[in-house]
Amino acid sequence: MNLERARYYQENMDRLMQTDRLFLKNPVLVTGLGLAPIVVAATTLNNALILGLGVALLLTPTRLLAAVCCSRKVPVQLRGLVYTLCAAVLYIPIFFLLYQVFGVSLSAVGLYLPVLVVEPIIIKRYERPQPEPLGFALRKGITTTAGFLLALFVVAALREWLGLGTLLGYQLLAQAPMPLANYTSGGFICVGLLAALWRWMGNLFKKYVNLEAKQEV
Amino acid sequence: MTILNDILTFFLYAVIAIAAQNAVFTRALGVSRLTRLVETGELAISKFTVLLAAVQLLSAPLAFYANRLLDINVQLRAALRPLVMVLCSGVAFFVVLLALGILSAKTQMKSLREYARALPLATFNCCVIGTLLLTTTGGYTLVQSMGFELGSAVGYAAALVLVSEGQRKIQNRNVPASFRGLPVTLVYIGVLALAIYGLTGHTLAI
Repeated sequence: MNLERARYYQENMDRLMQTDRLFLKNPVLVTGLGLAPIVVAATTLNNALILGLGVALLLTPTRLLAAVCCSRKVPVQLRGLVYTLCAAVLYIPIFFLLYQVFGVSLSAVGLYLPVLVVEPIIIKRYERPQPEPLGFALRKGITTTAGFLLALFVVAALREWLGLGTLLGYQLLAQAPMPLANYTSGGFICVGLLAALWRWMGNLFKKYVNLEAKQEV
Repeated sequence: MTILNDILTFFLYAVIAIAAQNAVFTRALGVSRLTRLVETGELAISKFTVLLAAVQLLSAPLAFYANRLLDINVQLRAALRPLVMVLCSGVAFFVVLLALGILSAKTQMKSLREYARALPLATFNCCVIGTLLLTTTGGYTLVQSMGFELGSAVGYAAALVLVSEGQRKIQNRNVPASFRGLPVTLVYIGVLALAIYGLTGHTLAI
């Protein structure tokens, strides 16, 4: 890493810790949002594809629609209802679209697709008292979606490999190394271990940036 | 005899929802909210449980009758169901809010304002909508649905208590820095979920 890059990261680390939804503040592995579908339904990459497309189509439009609906006149107490209703209304065309793409395979994720309408990763913004500007909602929606998708596919690939010994349905191992990964308890443990690894890598990155900046000086 | 049978069914489904089909340990419903509540301690477990139970009990009959009205094409029903469930929990939200408002006006208790502030957290929650979806798609009767909803709320509270108690043990210096907070909490919930799985011996349909 060159000096300029190291200094940039060092000086902006606090800001990056707040804004970088992909790695340093991943919504799933660092903040703990969107855990229910990942822990239970993300057992294969095919399931992850369904959930990922669902979240990608639902998250940003919900934030935008809710930001439009939640003007200053809407009491803070009712914002949760507005956000949830926006998500539930948007879910209707999204469900038909997903049904066209995946057909009956949608049942593989069970209730974790409809439950997305109240999943904190989609509606958590309602807890803040100040209304969200549209541009901010768009930017945050896209970055949060990207962070969720990254965590979703990493967890799903890991669980499919550990739990079934396959990847995208292709047999990689004769026997599954850890069948527990396919269960809810295994999902919690996998996500917990991955969250620890993620945090360790984040701390390593911060240490590396500080060391590089000091060495160059 | 029918009443006794209904009471028995109600408690049977409540017990099933508390233990064998615990919303948190078997289906991870509301686990994001749970980890946040445990970590920040922003809300008392008792307050959250009272609100959650009230909302779930009120929304259960609404969802049951609304689901019976949804006698339409299968795909359209699947697409509309989340909206219907959200509307049912929204009605329950307003009823509880109104009850809190009336109580607050009559008793002047300050803690009721805190209840009102925490109400959205307890209403717009995966545990509420998830269990409503389970009972309506599973073809539960009214008594079964109400027992299951109440049991889910109590089961959620039990999970909150278990995880909060566990936090005291797992948040110490011996835990590696990378594991502190969310990672160790998730591993701990995973171990508890494994114990429940050992008790029931089978995975639940999602």
